[in-house]
Amino acid sequence: MPVNGRKRMVTITINKNQYLAEEGEIFLLTAMRLKIDIPHLCYEKALDPYGSCRLCMVEVVTCGKTEMTPACTIKVHNGLEILTDTPEVIKHRNILFELYLAEAPKSEVIKEMAAKYGVTKTRFLKKIVHDDPLLGKCILCGLCVRVCSEIMGTCAINFINRGPFTVVNTPFYEHNPDCAGCAACARVCPTNAIVFEDTEKDRVMRSWSGTTVPMMTCSSCNKPFAPEKLMHEIQSRLDPQINEDIRNMCPECRRRYISRREMKIPIT
Amino acid sequence: MKIQSARDLESARREGLIKIQPGRPRIGVGTSSCGIAVGGMALYERMKKIIQDEYPDISLVKTGCIGFCKEEPIVSVSIPGKSLVLLHKVQPDDAERIISLAMEGRVPQELALCKIQDWDHITGSLVHGGGFDGIKDYDEIPFFANQKKIILRNCGLINPEDIMEYIGTGGYFPAFKAITSMEPEAVIEEVKRSGLRGRGGAGFPAGIKWEITKKASGEEKYIVCNADEGDPGAYMNRNEMESDPHMLLEGMLIGAYAMGVHEGLIYIRAEYPLAIERLMVALDQARSLGLLGKNILNSGFDFDIQIATGAGAFVCGESTALAASIEGKTGRPRIRPPRLTEKGVFGRPTDLNNVETWCNVPVIIAKGASWFSSVGAKGNTGTKVFSLVGKVDNVGMVEVPLGTSLNTIIFDIGNGGAQGRRVKAVQTGGPSGGCIPVRLFDTPVDYESLNKVGTMMGSGGLVVMDEDTNMADIARYFISFASGESCGKCVPCREGLKHMLLILNRLIAGKGTVKDLNLLKELSETVQKTSLCGLGQTAPNPVLTTMQYFKEEYDELLEA
Repeated sequence: MPVNGRKRMVTITINKNQYLAEEGEIFLLTAMRLKIDIPHLCYEKALDPYGSCRLCMVEVVTCGKTEMTPACTIKVHNGLEILTDTPEVIKHRNILFELYLAEAPKSEVIKEMAAKYGVTKTRFLKKIVHDDPLLGKCILCGLCVRVCSEIMGTCAINFINRGPFTVVNTPFYEHNPDCAGCAACARVCPTNAIVFEDTEKDRVMRSWSGTTVPMMTCSSCNKPFAPEKLMHEIQSRLDPQINEDIRNMCPECRRRYISRREMKIPIT
Repeated sequence: MKIQSARDLESARREGLIKIQPGRPRIGVGTSSCGIAVGGMALYERMKKIIQDEYPDISLVKTGCIGFCKEEPIVSVSIPGKSLVLLHKVQPDDAERIISLAMEGRVPQELALCKIQDWDHITGSLVHGGGFDGIKDYDEIPFFANQKKIILRNCGLINPEDIMEYIGTGGYFPAFKAITSMEPEAVIEEVKRSGLRGRGGAGFPAGIKWEITKKASGEEKYIVCNADEGDPGAYMNRNEMESDPHMLLEGMLIGAYAMGVHEGLIYIRAEYPLAIERLMVALDQARSLGLLGKNILNSGFDFDIQIATGAGAFVCGESTALAASIEGKTGRPRIRPPRLTEKGVFGRPTDLNNVETWCNVPVIIAKGASWFSSVGAKGNTGTKVFSLVGKVDNVGMVEVPLGTSLNTIIFDIGNGGAQGRRVKAVQTGGPSGGCIPVRLFDTPVDYESLNKVGTMMGSGGLVVMDEDTNMADIARYFISFASGESCGKCVPCREGLKHMLLILNRLIAGKGTVKDLNLLKELSETVQKTSLCGLGQTAPNPVLTTMQYFKEEYDELLEA
């Protein structure tokens, strides 16, 4: 419980060593702060823990019994005891890495991460998808889907099908006019599976059925700088409204404009 | 008419009794899904026409299923003052004769299965009478004799589409007792003392779950009935709802009163259209009698139930996926805690119980916790309904006290393998359970003993396998089912089950190696230990148990 607005510090045991930790903190974060290595793919601090990648499985010790639990779903409390590197944890983690290597055979991130834990080969049949919009790198962790709906409030992409046939894309694999082109999905993707490119006039979300979002051109230099829809969304949330003169400027022109104004250099 | 007092209820009971024993011949046709599948509805329509045209003095009703599915369509004939006779495998062409004989106070001997002289409906009892000496007694039929009917007390005997018949056998009296004369806490205490455990499979004590929900913070709460029965080969809940929907509604009403909840939901799969239809009828009738809605039984207590249909996804039987599905979201489980009792449907504290758990509640209130806990075994009180299917002679729905051995169920009740075949194993708990070999059939059927042999109670499916069944093929079937039903959220279930299926396919095609076999075992253990929800955690059970008990069948598949 917070005392005077400050978090209470409690004692926890990790791999037989005692540490002080903040009560209520997500254990995965505590471990990261303490430099105790736990691999993970689906945790993103802007979102609630989701527990889908299963790589951060550790053993929680309660009354002498252990239970496999994902570190991202454990909340720190006094007396918490965790084992992160038992033969059991390593055995299952290695199988999970093998499953990932088979599911996303083109992902360098997965290969490097697995290799770091000693897994360089998979005994499972590799998934080969021709013309995969996610380049054979998607591990279906769901971060892109969640950031799109929960943070951006857009819901332009979602899971399609279920079980082993699950994929992520726009509804009916069609160009989705709801997409604001923010590319937050690509930003949070742990395996860099999502591709987009900026052309002269548009941002093209290659992975999302070629969804095309027009770019806004800078009112000063006339160069495209951000997706129009995203800019409108941002501007609608600004309060108070910013100076009309710089509303539609690219960051560079805006900087120049403000600097000149501050330095009282005539604006041309 | 609204029932507002003990007198109202008593007069409803008398009215109901007259419907069950109308003082003239009454014919009941088994029209649950199992009866309909073999022509029950056609038989009912044929009889209806004959009776309308020629014998207006006969009462004809639809009844539910008495459980002996192998013998359907089953017709019950009740002649005033005489035993109720069950006729089996009745064809539409028999209709005319059954009716004309009934008018003479007789039944066709060669169609008779057995007779019932009196019946204990638990909440009440009925005496039918004697006669029909040439027909075997109910207790002389091994399929029935070894059962104990508590949940199925009314099934197949009353008209599920008429609330008066339910009240006629003592129904809604327990609810009346609870609401008008017991404190909510006392109701919970009674359920706790009865030892009733969740019949969905996990076996969590129902009373404790109720108490947690009652104590959870928040004014608005839900109680939910899980009727998303999805195990292949399991149809207990379907039959319970089709044959006696009011016992479920009454159970929920008592639970709602105990927990102080005003909104109930029945989450039922859309593949159960008849059950949905009968529940709808039952809800309307209960509302019109003031047993649901505002000011129930003039007590000031409000409660109503809505039906939510699912699209038939196995994973939606998992509590958090079920809640998501009710909310209109994709049925995907989320991490727990928080549990539903804390944060359930639409974020409100929610008590979720299986159909059968609710169905036990009225009898616990009617007869008391001590009576209920005297049935079954210690720590495993009461009875459990199983659907006994597969390669067993007597296919049907059976109800036995918990702790009954598999031998009793499969050999005494089920009469062993179909067509005289040798029984080899039984699968309990559906895709989440395991296969138990015949040498372990002295295992008592209770939550702990089944876990000990590597399987689980599950919701109550018992699939019998005989000497012709290949166990690796069975394992493949269940993995294929589980993989197809996986929601795809976590990697061990989504990818792990897929690879388990690929390996099993390879083995069964005769192209597998010892390495494959070892990998299958290794992968099974990882899926079991690291999956997010119960579906993935239990899906490898059929593989692990068949590998443990029938290793030789896997070895035979290996490449020479």
